[in-house]
Amino acid sequence: MIKRIFTLLVVSLLLFACKSRVDRKSGDEFEVPDEIVNEGVLEISEEVMQNIVQNISSPVEMASLVKSLNASFSGKYLAPTDKVDELTTSYQQAFNLGIYAADLGYLNIYNKTNSVIDYITAIKTLADGVRVGQFFDFTTLKRLAQSNQNLDSLMYISVHSFNQMDKYLRTDNRSNLSTLMVTGVWIEGLYLATQVAKSDPHPELAERIGEQKIIMDQLMLILYNFKSDKYFSKLIDDLNVIQNEFSDVTITIQKGEPEAIEEDGMLVIIQKDISIVNISDDKLNSIIEKTEQIRNKLISI
Amino acid sequence: MKNILKLIFFSIIFFNSEVIAQDNVEMVAQCAASAGNVTYLKDFIIKLDAGIPGGKPPSAKFSMVLSKNTQYRFSICTAPDSEGEAILQLFDMNVLQGSTYISATGKEFPFFDFKCQKTGVYHVFISFKEGKPGESVGVLSFVKKL
Repeated sequence: MIKRIFTLLVVSLLLFACKSRVDRKSGDEFEVPDEIVNEGVLEISEEVMQNIVQNISSPVEMASLVKSLNASFSGKYLAPTDKVDELTTSYQQAFNLGIYAADLGYLNIYNKTNSVIDYITAIKTLADGVRVGQFFDFTTLKRLAQSNQNLDSLMYISVHSFNQMDKYLRTDNRSNLSTLMVTGVWIEGLYLATQVAKSDPHPELAERIGEQKIIMDQLMLILYNFKSDKYFSKLIDDLNVIQNEFSDVTITIQKGEPEAIEEDGMLVIIQKDISIVNISDDKLNSIIEKTEQIRNKLISI
Repeated sequence: MKNILKLIFFSIIFFNSEVIAQDNVEMVAQCAASAGNVTYLKDFIIKLDAGIPGGKPPSAKFSMVLSKNTQYRFSICTAPDSEGEAILQLFDMNVLQGSTYISATGKEFPFFDFKCQKTGVYHVFISFKEGKPGESVGVLSFVKKL
């Protein structure tokens, strides 16, 4: 009997091992017990939430924009990591995980590997708190940061880990936490852009800040799905202060057909639709002010 | 006896999950590396069944925000054991912006760059030629600010 059971075990393991890919629905699922499964009432289904707009805010893009404008690095734009242990609820942990992921992107873009350790340590603590720590390769990231080599790998693993955590939360019916992570990344990216615009004004930066109106509309749509939850309701109220400031920003589109060219054997598509952002200096200043106020309020415990 | 059966069951679940997760991680890493000297942003892992003969090939859709004055790279990698060959198409609303397969010429590209001039929501569709079943990974990378 025992022999049969072990034969069955070996055959089963081999059979399952042969299934080497995953379809989109199954994602990277494996069972992690969690008591925090969507406490809020969803107005759209979890399945729809899983397919919601991605890349709403990337830890890389805003920092790259700032660097491309030759803005110098400033540690004062970063959120402090000294109170991480005081973030005890899964909501606080997920939101601040997004904040620190954006800061990590900023540090990576500027190759500030000395400060990276504090941020990956904070992210690891928070990721464990929301039970997605298995996707954050802390050991490798720490080694790469300490050796100050393979900065591309450091960037890749940082962004990939964040995506894995986000994806897993969505497939694990915890898109409320995924939404908070994304919101954290977005607000920190906006804070970074507005702080740089405050100290070193640039028309390109003003336009990118104005365009956040479009991205914020998408983000608010997602957040509204959880508005019956007290934490989300307060967060929406806070973010509404910023969204109201964007109401006077106008964006017009010049239409055109995309053009395809080949450059060195590579296919390059040049978009001919062009968005034009109108944002006054006064409006930009009030967006800078409100963003600073709300972001500082949200990261304070 | 019951405990042994439980052990078998959990071993299978655990082993299966680990294999799948590890496999995906490797596929994404390989595809991101093949995109060249760019910064990885997102990945789209798909597995699709065969389409109905004569019907529209099945596809998977992913929506994302792209930002103005940014050059992005969209790469597609078909899994080695996949029957179908993957195609990645980028749409702005319902207007096709770019594709890794130009049906008029039959030319294929492992990736294409998109010079974005309008911040907004875009849609990526991944399908397989002739509606064959297949597995693939799409990767969105950041090339540079324009």
